[in-house]
Amino acid sequence: MEKYWNEEIETMSREDMKKLQDERLVAQVKHVYENVKYYRDLMDEKGVKPEDIKSTDDLYKLPFLSKADLREAYPYGLLAKPLGDCVRIQSTSGTTGKRVVAFYTQNDIDLWEECCARAITAAGGTNEDVCQVCYGYGLFTGGPGLNGGSHKVGCLTLPMSSGNTERQITFMRDLGATILCCTPSYAAYIGETLHDMGYTTDDIKLKAGIFGAEPWTEEMRRSIEKSLGIKAYDIYGLTETSGPGVSFECSEQTGMHINEDHFIPEIIDPETGEVLPDGEVGELVFTSITKEAFPLLRYRTRDLCVLSRKKCSCGRTLIKMSKPMGRSDDMLIIRGVNVFPSQIETVLIEQGYSPNYLIEVDRVNNTDTLDISVEMNPEQFSDKMKDMQEQEKSLALAIKTMLGINPKVHLVSPKSIVRSEGKAVRVIDKRKLHD
Amino acid sequence: MSNAKQISVFVDNKPNQLTGIMALLKKSGVNIRALSLADTTDFGILRMVVNDTDKAAETLKNASYAVTVTEIIAITIPDAPGQLSRVLDILGADSVNLEYLYAFTGASDKSVSFVIRVDDNVSAAEALTKGGIIQLTEQDIAEM
Repeated sequence: MEKYWNEEIETMSREDMKKLQDERLVAQVKHVYENVKYYRDLMDEKGVKPEDIKSTDDLYKLPFLSKADLREAYPYGLLAKPLGDCVRIQSTSGTTGKRVVAFYTQNDIDLWEECCARAITAAGGTNEDVCQVCYGYGLFTGGPGLNGGSHKVGCLTLPMSSGNTERQITFMRDLGATILCCTPSYAAYIGETLHDMGYTTDDIKLKAGIFGAEPWTEEMRRSIEKSLGIKAYDIYGLTETSGPGVSFECSEQTGMHINEDHFIPEIIDPETGEVLPDGEVGELVFTSITKEAFPLLRYRTRDLCVLSRKKCSCGRTLIKMSKPMGRSDDMLIIRGVNVFPSQIETVLIEQGYSPNYLIEVDRVNNTDTLDISVEMNPEQFSDKMKDMQEQEKSLALAIKTMLGINPKVHLVSPKSIVRSEGKAVRVIDKRKLHD
Repeated sequence: MSNAKQISVFVDNKPNQLTGIMALLKKSGVNIRALSLADTTDFGILRMVVNDTDKAAETLKNASYAVTVTEIIAITIPDAPGQLSRVLDILGADSVNLEYLYAFTGASDKSVSFVIRVDDNVSAAEALTKGGIIQLTEQDIAEM
């Protein structure tokens, strides 16, 4: 029997949901226009007045916001409430440029935690569960978001933060953690460490994991599920809209339900900005309709995915988004071909290699080079050199079949590629260093 | 008759990789009888015959090294011109495919030993026995 955190919202009819969104959007546009000069200027420039937005059907009239706007408006330019009403700041990791800070009122925090509570409930969490949160705590939204959601659900919460993996496993065992929340790459590492310490899945009580904050593949999901003996659920979010919990997976595991009562999704053509119909691949855009302090309208996430209104077996009526095929900034263009690290990861896991790898892209004599370091599989190790070289060749061929370009594959020792406790670094693009 | 065993270890082609392996073997008191290293630009395969294969394999596996143990043929022949040629002729006559071989110190200073890696240990051993070549067992090597 499927459990919901907020049954009324999660199973609401389309008509009622649209009515709710219409009302909230109209009020939100007014709130933003009145309080955020930066966005008011953008609307004025486009000749759009708050009165022009009468329902979600008018959403397309509003200007987009991008990460560049957030950087330009840093730190207070998009704030819609007096600082006295704000209680929290969270921030992006800033790995792709200047940091972005987001502000929250107490109400914003409550709604964010409600979204996370829905995700935990969808993963089977109740007040009987012990929820181990090993996302980073601090400015990063992962730890605080799931921590708050876990409290709301009434789970016994273990606020571990990331790192010290052996201690994570000790707590997991001693306190009988049943739900694990962290990045998928860290979950894979915890699984590996568990087995290295001589334990099996019989030694832990985990039943579910809620993993997000970085792209991961179906193959990686299966590998984590096996290694930890759990069902692994995806969760999606970004600091700009609140944090994790914008959307979450249910038992069907075929995409993430978007909390549409708080975030209206659109899919656009990333080149033209034109809205695409459900079912087409494009860039995901979110409009926050309940946030008070940092309400972004039509924020371009740069995540490429598909929206689907297909009926879900879990009973939720919330629209579903596919697993992002990669953030447009993760995409590499190598010899004119679009390459996502997730494609390479898929091949590696299919071929029996560990999902720990390092992609290095460079430009030598005006030609792009693609080098992939892969941890060799100890079970496939042979004392014959030709066998080992054959493994490199056949892996390179499988990757070439997937991408259409020839990589150089380098086998390296097991466990020699640095494990990540948060977001994994998979790509080094040396071409940028030359520019 | 029991063939001798060889332990192979996957080694990254980076500085100090052998140092780590040797330190582990030293700690566990394993003595290396024979050793060879095959390498590419990416990695190497360190092949060793040691006095205690099981202990060496366990030690290295516990330290996360990729390890494989294979049966090989170890022979000892007089340290004189033409002796290795004679061995190769014997194997060649029986169409045994040779993967690789490497030399190590003999049981006495009048002899020299070789590790021979072939695809078919049984027919190689038979051919060598018939040709009068002395083969070393696991025990012989441990006691050297």
